[in-house]
Amino acid sequence: MYKLIKDSISNEINMVRRLSDGACIPFAEANRDYQEFLAWKAEGNEPEEAE
Amino acid sequence: MASINLQGDTSGSISISAPSVAGSNTLTLPATTQTLATQNALGVRNLFINGDMQIAQRGTSATGVTTSGYNTVDRWRVTTNIAGTWTHSQDTDVPTGQGFTNSHKLLCTTANSSLSASSFIQYQQKFEGQMLQHLKYGTSSAESLTLSMWLKSNKTGTYVVRLFQTGNNRAIHKTFTIDTADTWEKKTLTFTGDTTGVLANDNSSELEVNLWLVAGSNYTSGTQDGDSWVSYTASNTAVDLTVNLADAVNNYINITGVQLEVGDTATPFEVMPYDMELARCQRYFCSSFNAGVAPANGVVASVASIFSAYDNTTGWSAWIPLPVKMRTVPSMTAYRDSVAGTDGQWATYDSGYTTLSSTTLSPGGTDNGFYCNGSRSSAFAAHDTYLLRGNFTADAEL
Repeated sequence: MYKLIKDSISNEINMVRRLSDGACIPFAEANRDYQEFLAWKAEGNEPEEAE
Repeated sequence: MASINLQGDTSGSISISAPSVAGSNTLTLPATTQTLATQNALGVRNLFINGDMQIAQRGTSATGVTTSGYNTVDRWRVTTNIAGTWTHSQDTDVPTGQGFTNSHKLLCTTANSSLSASSFIQYQQKFEGQMLQHLKYGTSSAESLTLSMWLKSNKTGTYVVRLFQTGNNRAIHKTFTIDTADTWEKKTLTFTGDTTGVLANDNSSELEVNLWLVAGSNYTSGTQDGDSWVSYTASNTAVDLTVNLADAVNNYINITGVQLEVGDTATPFEVMPYDMELARCQRYFCSSFNAGVAPANGVVASVASIFSAYDNTTGWSAWIPLPVKMRTVPSMTAYRDSVAGTDGQWATYDSGYTTLSSTTLSPGGTDNGFYCNGSRSSAFAAHDTYLLRGNFTADAEL
């Protein structure tokens, strides 16, 4: 499970929090955690909305 | 001292001299046309990082391991699927007289003697493509690679090592045997260069070295595909593996002194200074915790940064640099300090500790540092300074 995060400076959504361990995962193509998130999303899952 | 003198075609000469020593000593040269480097070219020849298992930023022991991941020793990943339960540890059992201080131990704590078709355990390290361009893969000049390693296990038999090109879906394999139980043995394998598969010149995973320890029928039911580079076929992957390391509790394997180098000759293990090896590991994973301390909440904070509040709101940001530039923008995890707070939250201190109600460690698209963004219930005083305490991990592993 994931939750979208807004950047506090730009106010743009550019990360997702992995709720199992609190890790902040950037939207970076070479980041393997981001690739796992994309795979999870491709299975039809949706992250929680950002606050 | 006796000498052989080689006279140059036109001028000059080279002398090869044998020192006056007792007995007969052998100097073995590689069986290939090469230039014997005698200066500068001999350093940083081990493609593996942390081949002697001396760096363990994630802690020295992990119990109850049933899934794939990086546990304990840096850079070494164990991929696991339906193959029992394991303890991974940075161990002090090492081969005698080799100068190693650590090995990586995998110990079976719950067995799986009846494997599923998709069961496997691979001991693995992945390489960035930009670290491998000197292999000249995809050209007629592709270089051979020689793997050498020390192993000890209670399970004798034939094991499989497979090199796998992630981007090209190509593979090559070699086998070796552990001949004697509970005894350190050194194994050496040479892999021919691949004249077909071009490795991308970037920071993505382009090559894996996989030591197969457990394999279900999905990986053993095919045919042995020789020891040259071929298109990857899953069922051919571990046909020669005769061992199921997961078939009994207390099965184990210790590994150290792992080296992968260009050429067809295994040279002595290249010892890297601790600080250099740590910095190389930190390109892929780093933390604020002391060496060997497993990341956790409630550990004394190693990050104690001072920041100035820019206004009197409850939100703020502070920039924390990372020790090295990482492979890519890392995933960040926050841990609370030992003095106060809620798990996963950092704290601020002025006249007392105030736990943050939200801590977000944001690399902001960079690979060299991150913002700690947070908010708390009580407003900051504009332009006052505060102490910020907490720990972090940054993960950019392949």
